[in-house]
Amino acid sequence: MPFDKPQHVISPSLWALAWKRLVASRVAMVSLGIVAAFLMLIALSASGLIAKDWARETGVNYAPPSFLGEDIEQAGQPAAPGGPISASDKPTELPIQDPLADAIADIRGEKKAPGSEAPSGESQTVDPLADVMADIRAKGTQATVAETRASTLPFGADKWGRDVLKKTIKGSETSIFVGLAAAFVATLLGTVFGAVAGYYGRWLDDFFNWFYSVFTAIPYLLLILAVAAVLQQKGTLTIILILGLTGWTGTFRLIRGEYLKHKGREYVQAADAIGASNGRRMFVHIFPNVSHVVLVQLSIYTVAFIKAEVILSFLGFGVPVDVVSWGSMLNEAQNELILGKWWQLAAAGTAMALLVTAFSLFTDELRDALDPKLK
Amino acid sequence: MVPEMVHYAPFIGGDRMLEAVRPWLSASAVVLGLLLAAPATSLAADPQKVLRIAFEVAETGFDPAKVTDNYSNQVTQVVFERLLSYDYLARPMKLVPGAAEALPDVTDNGKTYLFRLRKGIYFQPDPAFKGARRELTVADYAYSIKRFVDPANRSPWRFLVDGKIVGLDDVAKRAAQSKRFDYDAKVAGLEIVDRYTLRIRLNQSDYNFAYIMAMPAMSALAREVIEAYPDDSNAHPVGTGPYMLKSWTRKARIVLEANPDYREVIWDFVVSNDPRDQAAVAAMKGKRIPQIGRVEISVIEEEQSRWLAFQRGEIDFIDRFGSFAPIAIPDNKLSPDLAARGITWDRSVEPEITYYFFNMKDPVVGGYSKEKLALRRAMILAYDTAEEIRVIRKNQAIEDQMPVPAGVVGHDPAYRSIIRHDPQLANQLLDYYGYKKGSDGYRNDPSGKPFTIVLTSEPQATSREYDELWRKALDGIGLRFETRKSPFSDNIKAAEACQLAMWGSAWAADYPDGENFMQLLYGPNSHQSNHGCYESAAFDEMYVRMKNMPDSPERDRLFLLMSRQMEVDGAWKLGVSRYRNVLVYPQVKGYRYHPINTAVWEYLDIDPAARRQ
Repeated sequence: MPFDKPQHVISPSLWALAWKRLVASRVAMVSLGIVAAFLMLIALSASGLIAKDWARETGVNYAPPSFLGEDIEQAGQPAAPGGPISASDKPTELPIQDPLADAIADIRGEKKAPGSEAPSGESQTVDPLADVMADIRAKGTQATVAETRASTLPFGADKWGRDVLKKTIKGSETSIFVGLAAAFVATLLGTVFGAVAGYYGRWLDDFFNWFYSVFTAIPYLLLILAVAAVLQQKGTLTIILILGLTGWTGTFRLIRGEYLKHKGREYVQAADAIGASNGRRMFVHIFPNVSHVVLVQLSIYTVAFIKAEVILSFLGFGVPVDVVSWGSMLNEAQNELILGKWWQLAAAGTAMALLVTAFSLFTDELRDALDPKLK
Repeated sequence: MVPEMVHYAPFIGGDRMLEAVRPWLSASAVVLGLLLAAPATSLAADPQKVLRIAFEVAETGFDPAKVTDNYSNQVTQVVFERLLSYDYLARPMKLVPGAAEALPDVTDNGKTYLFRLRKGIYFQPDPAFKGARRELTVADYAYSIKRFVDPANRSPWRFLVDGKIVGLDDVAKRAAQSKRFDYDAKVAGLEIVDRYTLRIRLNQSDYNFAYIMAMPAMSALAREVIEAYPDDSNAHPVGTGPYMLKSWTRKARIVLEANPDYREVIWDFVVSNDPRDQAAVAAMKGKRIPQIGRVEISVIEEEQSRWLAFQRGEIDFIDRFGSFAPIAIPDNKLSPDLAARGITWDRSVEPEITYYFFNMKDPVVGGYSKEKLALRRAMILAYDTAEEIRVIRKNQAIEDQMPVPAGVVGHDPAYRSIIRHDPQLANQLLDYYGYKKGSDGYRNDPSGKPFTIVLTSEPQATSREYDELWRKALDGIGLRFETRKSPFSDNIKAAEACQLAMWGSAWAADYPDGENFMQLLYGPNSHQSNHGCYESAAFDEMYVRMKNMPDSPERDRLFLLMSRQMEVDGAWKLGVSRYRNVLVYPQVKGYRYHPINTAVWEYLDIDPAARRQ
């Protein structure tokens, strides 16, 4: 019953038809749901509503997931002989003046007895910093209270005792954001270059083709590492740029082909006849007819770049030290796995596998929906 | 604590040498001779015996005057020879003659050293010798020492001889003016008495000079070879040692082969009570050095890859596997799994320290004003070494109190530093000196300008753990922090140029004396081994005094005073001394870890039958 309402036969738009086909596919809906859930998660985490305190060390080192129970071997590795210096050990006294000694004595509220190196408890006078000190001490005790660390956490803890669940959420935020943003940059570059090359042809086409050939002649991972080495600076923005600037080539070829095909069509000639400018013909007339290709490219890239970020971080070229991503988590997990601490790998791996699979399936369905003839 | 310096353990008994030669005198005597000689002279190195090992950091080159890293030095150790060497088994470590006939005659209160070279030592063949056999003479040692002060070499080892050898500084000064170093100029302190006798005269008495003469940097190089490859001496190591460089893929793979011309040296070390020594002696005594015909070194930077390579039997022994200590040696015992495969475990505390230096010339962390001292002190107080040992090093290290580690002269186990991990005090210190927090929650300098602490580190996964610990420490006291990543071999070059604000590395003893550690802080060694360009008049004065003193309690006290001076100036965040855990497959015979001559390959044998397929 495709035409239920025969009153006014309005030919539905490409997008409406595609949406209809999409809704009809169960796979598409489920995967869209998963992707949407992830997007919601990162929106919440970016706005600071959840996982804001991911860097807090709430558990013991390598606290196992709750369902495994406490790790009895936690204390397994005894301190090696020649262990730590006890707190009661006083520094060896030597006749060398510490230029900061006065400041430290001042801070500690200790006044030195004249002529003596050792601080004397008796000669305490009014401390000018007493208020500040009391404040600091109060905060200090608070911190100590919070120090009591859980022996298990819902998804375990990493080596510093940070909650793996929160870390995974925070890592998802970085990885997905990087994936989406880099995909946007790459698709934008590819589309603009492809449109210009395909539409104008001639030397502009040659130029962009040459540019494209140079880029694709270099092995991809090598290219990424080279750009990373040149940029030097580390940061999320750098990774987005690296991936975006190196990844546009696929879209470029596709869009160039589409523009080559479309620019001779009757509707473009008609637009030309009514005096539409080049820019208008390229982006107002032709672009909507190729935009489904762009959309599919965008989602393919998102998946690819999420994986690329993981690889970069795994190789140590990725996110800086105060940022967590799936890649940096997997990097840490390399050694943990052999020690039998599998939970960080499991959490980051599962999250990534889930999103990437869902996104890929959704992309597939999207392409089918937008271009039914291909099926 | 004080190693005995003078101890003579002959490598070769004269009789055995005769026995080795005798079989070749007449055909009829061959069979008899072999039978007689069998226990004492086993055959020379067998090319079928291949030792495969891994370096955790890439080498930088093989010119002993130019390389300082342990990995390059391991190769130069076996390719070249020093006049003196160390006994393989003796602990505390003992000097023995290397290319010299005997330990030097030390006279004139430690100012004159007389070395007598063994005759009949020949260089490995090289095109630079134009087909002739080239004998090693003491002139080669004099030449190699002069190379340290040749400005063209920019040798990081210059500190070893600077101001030390009579007349050498004058030649160096003239070279600095004329831009050309005159190797033919007479140096009074390097007197070549005859082809085989070298008399070294020092400006001041130095009782450590014999140790210095055993360092890889003091290898003998042939002048012809250096002049044949003027810009690439790092790639052409031609020496007289037991091995020669067969092939080299930079930063990836090094293959060494036994030197067929290596003089006859027989494995003969005095056995101690240690069962590991006894096993080595049982397996090796009387064999000719070297037994292993080929050493293949792969550079495997990732710890996990190294561990897996060891597990699969792709390398014959492994050291430095800290992250895997909990499964390899749980409860400080060898795991039953590894023991069942015949793997043995060799542990010792390294005579080494790890440290992070602060660059005193850096606009952010450097300087000697109280504000800067407080900033550095705060960072040092904030960093939690105990957590580093527990979490990252899996308890396979001990915290250092002074820059002179255990097992080295000058170390005092009772010494306690003024540094205790105390982030609260760190915060208060910064408050006290006016490092106020800005709107972003991070501190600005006393003039109100924001600043960032930059730590340089390596791209490996393990480095990130230390970066994280630093980030935690500095976050806790409100300092902005970032890391810059580049390979170790690049970092060391930048550090020597005093270009890094902050970098962590380790220093292993070149010889068992505290001077070797304190020189890392000696002002005039800036731009060489003093990577932080730390310059303190008080420290330098004590250092010079210490250097001119024989081993004594006064000298030991100077080490404590220097340690304290370094602490109050905040030159370093002193780290740990690691345990050296080595796991060895059963096919490797005779392995004992030597803390200074770390390349012990010439003393080993391989039993191919014991190698698991």
